[in-house]
Amino acid sequence: MTITIDHLVKTFGTASALNGVSLEIPDKSFVALLGPSGSGKTTLLRIIAGLETADSGYVLFGGEDVTDRPVQRRNIGFVFQHYALFRHMTVAQNIAFGLTVMKRRERPSKDAIAARVDELLALVQLPGLGGRFPSQLSGGQRQRVALARALAREPAILLLDEPFGALDTKVRRELRGALREIHDRVGLTSIFVTHDREEAFALADTVAILSNGRIEQFAAPREIEQAPASEFVRDFVI
Amino acid sequence: MATASALPAPGGAGRRKPIFRRRVAMPGLGLTLGVTLLWLGLLVLLPIAAVIVRSLGLGPAHFAEVALSARALAAYRLSFGAALAAAAINGVFGLLIAWVLVRYDFPGKRLAGALVDLPFALPTAVAGIALTAIYANTGIVGGPLGKIGITLAYNPAGVVLALIFIGLPFVVRTVEPVLADLGQDIEEAAATLGASRLIVFRRVLLPEILPALLTGFALAFARGVGEYGSVIFIAGNMPFRSEIAPLLIVTQLEQFDYEGATAIAAVMLVVSFAMLAVINLIQARERTWRNGG
Amino acid sequence: MKSATTEARGIRALLIGLALVWLALIILLPLLAVFAQAFDKGFATFWAAIVEPDALAAIRLTLLTAIIVVPLNCVFGMCAAWAISKHDFRGRDLLTTLIDLPFSVSPVVAGLMFVLLFGANGWFGPWLIAHGVRIMFAVPAIVIATAFVTFPYVARELIPLMSAQGKAEEEAALTLGAGFFQTFWHVTLPNIRWGLLYGVLLTNARAMGEFGAVSVVSGHIRGLTDTMPLHVEVLYNEYNFVGAFAVASLLAALALVTLAAKALLEWRHRDSIAASGH
Ligand SMILES: Nc1ncnc2c1ncn2[C@@H]1O[C@H](COP(=O)(O)OP(=O)(O)OP(=O)(O)O)[C@@H](O)[C@H]1O
Ligand SMILES: [Mg+2]
Repeated sequence: MTITIDHLVKTFGTASALNGVSLEIPDKSFVALLGPSGSGKTTLLRIIAGLETADSGYVLFGGEDVTDRPVQRRNIGFVFQHYALFRHMTVAQNIAFGLTVMKRRERPSKDAIAARVDELLALVQLPGLGGRFPSQLSGGQRQRVALARALAREPAILLLDEPFGALDTKVRRELRGALREIHDRVGLTSIFVTHDREEAFALADTVAILSNGRIEQFAAPREIEQAPASEFVRDFVI
Repeated sequence: MATASALPAPGGAGRRKPIFRRRVAMPGLGLTLGVTLLWLGLLVLLPIAAVIVRSLGLGPAHFAEVALSARALAAYRLSFGAALAAAAINGVFGLLIAWVLVRYDFPGKRLAGALVDLPFALPTAVAGIALTAIYANTGIVGGPLGKIGITLAYNPAGVVLALIFIGLPFVVRTVEPVLADLGQDIEEAAATLGASRLIVFRRVLLPEILPALLTGFALAFARGVGEYGSVIFIAGNMPFRSEIAPLLIVTQLEQFDYEGATAIAAVMLVVSFAMLAVINLIQARERTWRNGG
Repeated sequence: MKSATTEARGIRALLIGLALVWLALIILLPLLAVFAQAFDKGFATFWAAIVEPDALAAIRLTLLTAIIVVPLNCVFGMCAAWAISKHDFRGRDLLTTLIDLPFSVSPVVAGLMFVLLFGANGWFGPWLIAHGVRIMFAVPAIVIATAFVTFPYVARELIPLMSAQGKAEEEAALTLGAGFFQTFWHVTLPNIRWGLLYGVLLTNARAMGEFGAVSVVSGHIRGLTDTMPLHVEVLYNEYNFVGAFAVASLLAALALVTLAAKALLEWRHRDSIAASGH
């Protein structure tokens, strides 16, 4: 699903986080939001998700204005940096959550939910771990569960806020590959926040570079390397 | 690859200007804040307003006459004096108990820790008759004390005793976590500098726990000033001598003297709010001081 | 061995001894006295004082009051805690302070407030009398006064707890399509259940034991508007000490159960109960 971001402005009190951000993200693309700490990456992602509201500007999904649509009805999947798994639920219950809270008329049957959970566990390569609690998993496993949970309702859009930020390098590499594969297999449109240049360039089709709440450049990794749009991008990327 | 170049102007074709923009994503604010404000307004603010408005309606001269009558002044003196004395005694023994519970191991420590909370859970009337049973001159402590000429029950000392019971957990429970948080390193540092134990306590530990101790003291005092149930059984309740301010309110209500009762209640309310402000101030000071250090 | 940061053995023993003696004198002895006096004339006398009709009526009224007040303040406390800990709005700190107000109001003054509202000369008194609604010196006033004094307990317990837990899990639930009630029921409530139980226990103990505020508004009609603490007072003032202490011992037992449950909660679920003084 295409995502159109149109002149988003957001201030917190007196501090401005986004100063008129516009982006056109094509269907099925994998975009990295790259920028230094405090540049507004999380804020932008949360506004796209509907977890935060912009002061002005618009968000469109597939050409449709969703700016005032509540987060529950945006059909997005969101992966948090610190997993945000439900501590008191098992892995299976975590993954099934999005399905179990659906309206009775739309909700799949118990068996169908169980089958979907197994399918997702296989997709994130954690078969058989459905009965564990989040506290019994490693960080990498937790993030895989969070990913499976976000995919359960078959969202068209997947948003990830530094999903590997709390993990060590080896696990990051593994998960990175897995994420890209899932993105291609499921046919998602994904936006993924990072402040790791190498990660962004290795993984994304397109990279958006943010600085002080502005998009400095939005282009393919190769293009950014060859023709940095500004002094800032040159310094930041090289 | 697509770029961010060809975008229509904001608010362009196909996009209506939203009339209402949702300000928060987290749901439930309207409902929960509504319930909170309704319940708070009806149950707490409206009744408090009633006391204030009714006492203002008395007019300054009449208000002063009933709120500051000789009997009322004696009652304030007792309520505030006894609460102050009890809070001071609780400051000392509360600190001692908190210290012992945090620093030492001894058999029955768990039980002792649990007992400290009893005044929070025991109904005040039960506390009142129980204290009287022990400390009246027929009781097992009051009897021997009476023989050596000390009477606690049925006079102002009884009021202080009841307020010590009521206030003790406030001091222990505010000081305890601060003592527990206090690392041994600063004490060790002081000790390596050759300071004796007593000096370490006075110069290093006491300043650290003083804000908490003050907070506990203020909480115990504030609670003591308004206390009724535990006091009236042991106090003797003689006007001008052992009659606390809340009891005077009750007495006046029983005599249908609503003006007198309201005026005294207004004085006590104002004092309570002042105490609340002081406690908040101490705690705010303590926070900035801790963050700064 | 004498370490640099602890006291000599003798001093330590002295301090422990002093603390324990003080605790015994101030807290343990009065507690024991309640039960000793209650059973002073044997179990039969104790039992007779409990099953006597006025005592039973008092017990019923106390339970009724608690059954009405505890759920109400529980719902209020959860609402207040949700609004204050999961949202940001102007006046939030002020609201938090206002919620604590009933703690600093003398119970007698609290009772008086409701006399000024609902009494014959009160703001709403004449209207209520004209319409035949009885609040003062009847069960409604007892319930309202009890609700006032127990107002802050649940909110006080939940606000620091829910603030410390943050919003991440709730936000995750929202992105998964859950609405407000689903998020609260499936995500927030399981995380705060022990803290909530703790707040409910304290509310209940105070609701059943409240004396001053209820004493002012109840009218002391024996067998009708006397709660257990008021019944204790009546019996005590009639020099029926065994009866007074018998009913008092039930309240003391309730206090002990509350404390035991609290200790158990602190021991088993330390992490899920905020370290808030009381
Ligand atoms: N809830 C908030 N309240 C106040 N200021 C905020 C809030 N959230 C973000 N900000 C401010 O907005 C700006 C952008 O923050 P944001 O979290 O979007 O940055 P980021 O690019 O995600 O940084 P990081 O890489 O550190 O996560 C920062 O200056 C931050 O201080
Ligand atoms: Mg961020």
